Amino acid sequence: MTNEFPFEISPMFEGERVRKDDMFVELAGPKSRGFELVRAAGLDEIEDGRFNLTGPDLLSMQEGSRHPYAMIYRIAGKLVEPDLEAIVERRNHDFQNYIQGYMHLNQRYDIWVRISKDAVKKGLKSFEQIAKATMMLFKNELPFIEKIEASFITDPEEVEKQRADALKVYEARDARTKGLHDEDVDVFYGCTLCQSFAPTNVCVVTPDRISLCGAINWFDGRAAAKVDPEGPQFAIPKGEILDKVGGEYSGVNEKAASLSGGEFSRIKLHSFFEYPHTSCGCFEVVGFYIPEVDGIGWVDRDYSGSAPNGLAFSTMAGQTGGGKQIIGFLGVGVNYFRSPKFIQPDGGWDRVVWMPKNLKEKIKADIPAELLDKIPNEDEVGDLKTLRDYLEKKQHPITQRWAKEEAAPHAAPSEAVAQPAGAPLWSVPAGLPAIPQFGGGDGIKIVLKNAKITIERIILKGKEK
Amino acid sequence: MRVIAITGKGGTGKTAVAGMLIKYLTSGSGTLLAIDADPDSNLPDVLGVKVEKTIGDMREFMLQERDSMPPGTNKETLLESKVYEVLAETPRYDLLVMGRPEGSGCYCFANNLLRGIMDRVLKNYDLTIIDTAAGLEHLSRRIIRDVNELLVVTDGSRRGLQTAERIRELAKSLNLNIGKMHVIANKITPENRMIVEEYARELEMDLVGSVPYDEILERYDLEGRPLMELPDDSKAFQGIKGIAGKMGL
Repeated sequence: MTNEFPFEISPMFEGERVRKDDMFVELAGPKSRGFELVRAAGLDEIEDGRFNLTGPDLLSMQEGSRHPYAMIYRIAGKLVEPDLEAIVERRNHDFQNYIQGYMHLNQRYDIWVRISKDAVKKGLKSFEQIAKATMMLFKNELPFIEKIEASFITDPEEVEKQRADALKVYEARDARTKGLHDEDVDVFYGCTLCQSFAPTNVCVVTPDRISLCGAINWFDGRAAAKVDPEGPQFAIPKGEILDKVGGEYSGVNEKAASLSGGEFSRIKLHSFFEYPHTSCGCFEVVGFYIPEVDGIGWVDRDYSGSAPNGLAFSTMAGQTGGGKQIIGFLGVGVNYFRSPKFIQPDGGWDRVVWMPKNLKEKIKADIPAELLDKIPNEDEVGDLKTLRDYLEKKQHPITQRWAKEEAAPHAAPSEAVAQPAGAPLWSVPAGLPAIPQFGGGDGIKIVLKNAKITIERIILKGKEK
Repeated sequence: MRVIAITGKGGTGKTAVAGMLIKYLTSGSGTLLAIDADPDSNLPDVLGVKVEKTIGDMREFMLQERDSMPPGTNKETLLESKVYEVLAETPRYDLLVMGRPEGSGCYCFANNLLRGIMDRVLKNYDLTIIDTAAGLEHLSRRIIRDVNELLVVTDGSRRGLQTAERIRELAKSLNLNIGKMHVIANKITPENRMIVEEYARELEMDLVGSVPYDEILERYDLEGRPLMELPDDSKAFQGIKGIAGKMGL
């Protein structure tokens, strides 16, 4: 690329490892400390190409030794703004790995760097050469950076001091990232990792909706799609918003149709009852509708007992999985409980009526405080009868739904909950508000494909008083 | 970059063969990576290396901690760093232990990251030797891809060779694209040599060589001594040297 430096610079050196025995020095890493940081600055605040080192330079370090290491870049340009800091900072990893004989691992305060003996033998003398090469790459590859300067630190005390400040910057950044919502982005991400066993599954990952397996958030989708746009994670342009509360987008619907082979053409990302997200089989938690109380219970993979509906996670997962839209069941990732859009068209947290203890404990901080003791666990409620009593006693907000429906018991036409084939029948005691509201009473669509339905008998009972 | 997986029925001495082969290869000049991909085996003990954490532990860490990581964390970069953290570095070779199997959750994403990382790790070595169980886990999941050669260890028993036959079928049905498969007959005595050779011919296996039964090796095993300390003139090690020569190692 250039002969200004005593080392080669090329993407082909990415993934190049410097072994312990070939290493001249180790910088930062699990056995030492360090960080990397990019800050935006004003155009007149910095001097392009400037380098400053605090602490010993490379050649005054003993061969085989380990040192703290910090790299701080300040960037400026008409288009440079603080929001870009994190994106630019992440490229330090890429660019420094282009340098032959220089290994850069991890990010932020976890960076781990090694410089090879070979690189030193070939003429690498100073961190200045590393910094100049990195700055050159930053400017070449990210042209919105008009000016850049670098301060590297190898002095242990100074690294500690500056690291404390850097941590505050990361923290503030994370707070902003956590504040990112579906409406703030133009692109969601899809994942087809589960399609090997759930061929019609359409996994859509958005800032407010983690993947069902809990492993892929919107940022992971973005990172993976950037590296390999044809890989298992890819971009889904949102398109037009069709239902703000339910989370329906034209772009997602189009992608759903193509990914599911035409099986599903509508998905509402935050809906439990209406065109819900498909469920793969990998989901961490399954939600199940309990008609007897018109609420939704949730049970996680690690809970081996039965939920109040008498079913275990494995049974419900078996019925729900396979990449289908199953009304009445929904697979989610644990982190979805932290979403501000958590089943929002269906009442959100006010609709949650049961959870195993461990799951509840895991997400305790994110359960609305006023509901914390109103959602029972397996110790408090083991069946439907005690569930209803418990909710009533605690005045769970779900009871207001009952009151409303009892006030107008025959107002809405009877609607049915589509149940997965083979689901055990719930006996619905008459007189209970058993009917969920589907998107304001415009009915639901039930598609029966290759269905064989055998009904031995249907018993209709009058209202018990 | 050459990748050789060593496998075979339990008890045939596959890990001892792997250990002795690694001992032999450390006298060469290329960079060498040893991977223990058998949760039941004890390659680190055989090599005399202490390994505290495994790839499995790190993958579990990713699963346990994922919700508490900063939302923008690049998980591939993080896992890659964690893999290098568990890589044991010795002067002549590096050792990676795959460790614990998957739990009940979904490992699709973590494994997908791991695949890319392992590809890059392996590229750094001229030669990689993998000690893996007969079920070929990690290979079947493509966590370790690009295995060029499969070395199946058998003892003098018919069952050992039958397992070799099953492994050959398994590798075929998994579409592992393994270029060559060799068989090593281990713990061979003058009495059983002919029979093993006969079996191998029947099953059309390429018997690349045999390792004689060795009392010294047996004693090392019994005492739990690392095979790296095995005397160079021991019968078993001499056998391994012959095989390595035939394989062009």
